[in-house]
Amino acid sequence: MNHSSDSRSEKGSILVRAITRASSQNINLMEVCGTHTVSIFRHGLRTIIPENIKMISGPGCPVCVTDQGDIDAALELAEEDMVTMATYGDMLRVPGTSTSLADLKARGRDIRIITSASQCIEIAEKDPQKEIVFFSVGFETTAPATASMLLEAQKKGLENLSVISLHKRTPPVLETLASDPGIKIDGFILPGHVSVILGHDPYRSIPERYGIPSCITGFEPEDILSGIFSIVRQIEEGKPRLTSVYGRVVKKEGNIKAKELMAEVFEYCDARWRGIGEIKSSGLAIKEKYRKLDAQYKWNLKTKEVEPPAGCRCGDVLSGRITPPECPLFRTICTPSSPVGPCMVSSEGSCSAYYRFRGGAESWNR
Amino acid sequence: MCLAVPHRIIEIIDSGRAFAATGNIKVEIRTDLIEDPSIGDPVLVHAGFAIEKLDMEDSKELENLWEEIREYADES
Amino acid sequence: MFSLLQISGRCRKLEQITLGHGSGGRLTEQLIKNITELFPSGRKDPSVSDLEDCTFLSNDIAVTIDSFTVSPRIFPGGNIGKLAVCGSTNDLAVRGVRPEWLVMSVVIEEGMDMEEFNGYMESAAAVCRDLGVKLSAGDTKVVPRNSLDGLFITTCALGTADTPFYWGMNNIKPGDRIAVTRSIGAHGATIGAARYDLGSKTLSSDCAALWPAIKEITKDRSVRAMRDCTRGGLGTVLCEWAEGTDLGIEIEEKEIPISSEVISVCDVLGFDPLYLACEGCAAIVFDPEGEDRILSALARHKDCSEIKIIGEVVDEHKKMVGMKTDIGGMRVIDMPVAEMLPRIC
Repeated sequence: MNHSSDSRSEKGSILVRAITRASSQNINLMEVCGTHTVSIFRHGLRTIIPENIKMISGPGCPVCVTDQGDIDAALELAEEDMVTMATYGDMLRVPGTSTSLADLKARGRDIRIITSASQCIEIAEKDPQKEIVFFSVGFETTAPATASMLLEAQKKGLENLSVISLHKRTPPVLETLASDPGIKIDGFILPGHVSVILGHDPYRSIPERYGIPSCITGFEPEDILSGIFSIVRQIEEGKPRLTSVYGRVVKKEGNIKAKELMAEVFEYCDARWRGIGEIKSSGLAIKEKYRKLDAQYKWNLKTKEVEPPAGCRCGDVLSGRITPPECPLFRTICTPSSPVGPCMVSSEGSCSAYYRFRGGAESWNR
Repeated sequence: MCLAVPHRIIEIIDSGRAFAATGNIKVEIRTDLIEDPSIGDPVLVHAGFAIEKLDMEDSKELENLWEEIREYADES
Repeated sequence: MFSLLQISGRCRKLEQITLGHGSGGRLTEQLIKNITELFPSGRKDPSVSDLEDCTFLSNDIAVTIDSFTVSPRIFPGGNIGKLAVCGSTNDLAVRGVRPEWLVMSVVIEEGMDMEEFNGYMESAAAVCRDLGVKLSAGDTKVVPRNSLDGLFITTCALGTADTPFYWGMNNIKPGDRIAVTRSIGAHGATIGAARYDLGSKTLSSDCAALWPAIKEITKDRSVRAMRDCTRGGLGTVLCEWAEGTDLGIEIEEKEIPISSEVISVCDVLGFDPLYLACEGCAAIVFDPEGEDRILSALARHKDCSEIKIIGEVVDEHKKMVGMKTDIGGMRVIDMPVAEMLPRIC
């Protein structure tokens, strides 16, 4: 199902041979982007990477790391009669404590799936008697779009639109993982599209302060394999640094215009990451200047601290301490049709990826 | 956390919007996040917004890495 | 300003029927099981698997039923009327059953334009004429505005067996080849593009009647089984075969025919083409002895000209479907759980 299959499988063989010959130690590499997790499974990369390299999936799925209390607060708001809640498809089936947006939609609540934040403006203008609330999650790839939409809403003086900003920042969680003595990470595969916005600088502390080699990587299988090779070489040379195999898209300085838009609308705040806990300055809150569009204030949203469901180990999965099959609920009580935590429901969640792709075809002999 | 797809801008609608195409599929996109969008620009689109203009060639860093990759792959 | 109520700490299983239950994956499987367990079986041979596209009522007569609720009702390549007849007759055709009779029910929303409705009926009638299928009975209902979305059509198709033995998964053996009759996912991609505002001059549903092509191979004893890849797409059919036969299946990604338009829609919306609905594409399992005959007979028909072998049935990794990916890795294909939603992550 590809544009140039022959060259892809040739490239794959070359890359795998190179990685195998270049690496001698047992190492753990963490990909910090749910889209990488899915791509690694979809292309069956675990079945061709040499066995001494272990791929761990980190907390790069913004849906999975959204705190359950925050989800519950948003769902409660979605139950109000005059509220139309707009969401990306990714959030629809994520379970809160007692319901989900899919459940509410089935019960007749006005839940709209959107594919672009700008559609919120269209919905608000078309239905002035309804209160549109945008349930907005995502990392730095997605936050600029929300910022742009908020600026437009402010300019138009829209009074029936607000945003629940649960956007999070990548560098703080990387630092949290890099500095955790309980997790052995020998290299990071860094999120290619977050990097389009951020550029290189926010990651420099990872190799420089923590000595962990890191490579900014795209999402095609050749990109990921090249990134793994780059990291393996750094480990063998003992020279951790920041590299990039995604220069066709990622500029060193990032997207300055997008960063300026974000800085205009958002400020850093402390944020709770599901299973990890609070990470300082890791969230993006709407600035006071745009408070009328901030759903937290408009609707007086109060987030309760919620205990994760008994036995749920989403936090350990997200921080790479365990793999999904090591969670006792995996495939027993927690399945995609009856998920306990977001890791199983989100299209990018580690547990969902492991389940859907059956853990990487271990039963095949190669 | 970021599905993004290369497109090419085929028509400018106004200062913040354009039509773009990937394969034979045409979509309306927002261009607020990039500078000077022009017809023919290859762009990366995420959630309906162009987030960067693309360089159609791989970077020098990747070219150099591929030299090293081939060396290791060809070693007998 | 609204203050929020206290949230109780209990965890509740989903109790409503959701759109996921209608999407052709595991939730649909559960729903069907819940229903069929309540009823005495009407199948001629209850030991035969539940997962074939039509059922034999007697030695020769087979029946199938399907409802059509597609939105938008008109799409590139067809409309709900054409789909309603192609869909049901294809479910007969893939078991080598000649479609002969159609029973149809239409439930129409008050206010539908008469010319629009007649257009759908004309499209349905045109397919019947081409196939020689007679409309034998029918029912019409009109319901108040907003009771449903425009029009629902249910078609029950009946026909007579044209094969020397029943086609079905019980015939499948290790070593059998698997082919698809054309490029996959065209219908699902077309509907997805329409729903989420993606424009295309060339993307079109594959909605077509398969009997004219399939009737050329009904006497060929190499054919083991065939399935119409509708809801849940090719991926679901392969999983159902593997699970139903207790055998393994191996396919190659690079062999699966798929158009660049469908790839683009999947890239933009985050869909997996393996699970996109097809409405004129069948998956076929056959004894390799018949390979040349079957491929050349089907390839002569315009709707099967892209026919391609994509893999084979194996004795290993029972109940599992593996796909060798373009880059040389191995991916396990599982059944989808619920309907595909557009993703940004």
